[in-house]
Amino acid sequence: MFRDFFDKSCWGLLAVALTALLAVLLVDAANRDGKSARGSNKAMEREMAYHARVELINKLYGPVEVLRTAGRNQEALLKLDELNRRYPGEAHGHILQGLILQDMGAPDEAIASFVEGIKLNGDYVDDKSPLSRRREIQGLVDIRSKDVSARVAANPDNRTLAGLLQKTNYLKSRLAGGCE
Amino acid sequence: MTRSIEFWMTMATALLLGTVGVLLSVWGNPENSGICVSCFIENSAGALGLHDNGNMQYLRPELIGFLLGSTASALAFRDFRSRGGSAPLSRLFLGIFLIFGCAVFIGCPIKLFLRLSAGDLTAVAGVAGLLGGVWLGLRGLANGVELVKPSQGNASGGHLIPVLFVVLLIFLFMRPEFLLFSVKGGGAQYAPLSVALAAGVALGALAQRTRFCITGSIRNTFLMGLRTPALWGLLVFVVAAAVSSMVSGRFNLSLYGQPGAHLEHVWSFLGMGLVGWISVLIGGCPFRQLIKAGEGDADAGLVVIGMFIGGALSQSWGIAATAAGVSLYGKVAILLGFAFVACGSLLYRERSR
Repeated sequence: MFRDFFDKSCWGLLAVALTALLAVLLVDAANRDGKSARGSNKAMEREMAYHARVELINKLYGPVEVLRTAGRNQEALLKLDELNRRYPGEAHGHILQGLILQDMGAPDEAIASFVEGIKLNGDYVDDKSPLSRRREIQGLVDIRSKDVSARVAANPDNRTLAGLLQKTNYLKSRLAGGCE
Repeated sequence: MTRSIEFWMTMATALLLGTVGVLLSVWGNPENSGICVSCFIENSAGALGLHDNGNMQYLRPELIGFLLGSTASALAFRDFRSRGGSAPLSRLFLGIFLIFGCAVFIGCPIKLFLRLSAGDLTAVAGVAGLLGGVWLGLRGLANGVELVKPSQGNASGGHLIPVLFVVLLIFLFMRPEFLLFSVKGGGAQYAPLSVALAAGVALGALAQRTRFCITGSIRNTFLMGLRTPALWGLLVFVVAAAVSSMVSGRFNLSLYGQPGAHLEHVWSFLGMGLVGWISVLIGGCPFRQLIKAGEGDADAGLVVIGMFIGGALSQSWGIAATAAGVSLYGKVAILLGFAFVACGSLLYRERSR
């Protein structure tokens, strides 16, 4: 591979290209020393967009949280209903609904709401997300799981209960993690 | 058989694959995904900006390790041969459908057995599908379906994929701004870089020496019965993974509540069936394609490129299944995959006159 003029020219060109590449990278590294990265930083942009979204959600659903904290759950549900109609694809409403229903002693309905929400956005069972409600959802599933199974075993023809078991299993699967 | 060094090397590879496959989850990879070539490809495609699912973006060191470990081993043992030219475009498309099959099942054949050995009974449908797919592929081979023979020589470009993966390795350490890394979801769960890379290199090198592959083991068992070391390798892999899962407290025998699994068993069966059929036609599962690409096989290299395209499309087009089930697009992709392979089998079949 080093026989004639053409071979030698190719080797020469390769050496020049690699040297120039190294020089470009070194010059860039020297210019960048001590400064923040230039150009578009997609990761940072994405993170900012995500935080803006979390802020917006907190702002939109803030009044519901206030009502819930004050124990005015019926009013909170009415407000949520209005928000869910305005933003039908938003998971946060379903999650909040689940939390309120859980507070009101309606765990089966709470499970159904959590499933709706998590199908729309898995961040609610992700520990690393600021939206995470993993602890509350895990708690509910841990408590209700055996009870739901027992009720299904006692009423094998009840399709509502079978659906509830399916939903509980879906939540268990999402809480177990995995790559998706 | 037990007196040959190949037999014991295959056992060592299988033992390491099963143990490390579970341990990587213990060390940080997603549950039951300690090793999953299709998940790693979807993650890496996302990291390179090929799809925008923010939960699936991480340049997996294991993937780079598998391929470069194979290259290092092939070079060290003078096994590196640049070769290619066997139905390249068909292989590219088969690579895409290979990942579609995995994405609908949620995992490659290695993860299939890792899931099963962790007690995930939803994987049973996948095992049945994989067996069926391999059998179908073998029926095709027996009836003259074969992609044309490759030619040898540097012009095949067999060195290009290892070079590409060296560039990916540099990216992994330099972290240029255009790379994307998940901060939540499965992509944000990973084992320490050095551990993952070392595991990948070791497994890549061993797999290059032994040619160990999940679908290859099943194929050889169908062809040769108990005489093939690959069958024992597969059993050692499953037992090692099961023991590791039990010891690490990750064993949960159930059909329900499993991580990264769904209950649409027919589609799990069909997804893995497609993977099995394609794997026999192209000479190995996704893991084996990486190993072959590492040792200079440009045809396997094109499958790897196809797998990256498939990984990106699986996420961008919503083909990949989730715990909620398989999407319409996932079902369409599987059926199109079967149609594509059936057409290919008709076209590539050598018929005696």
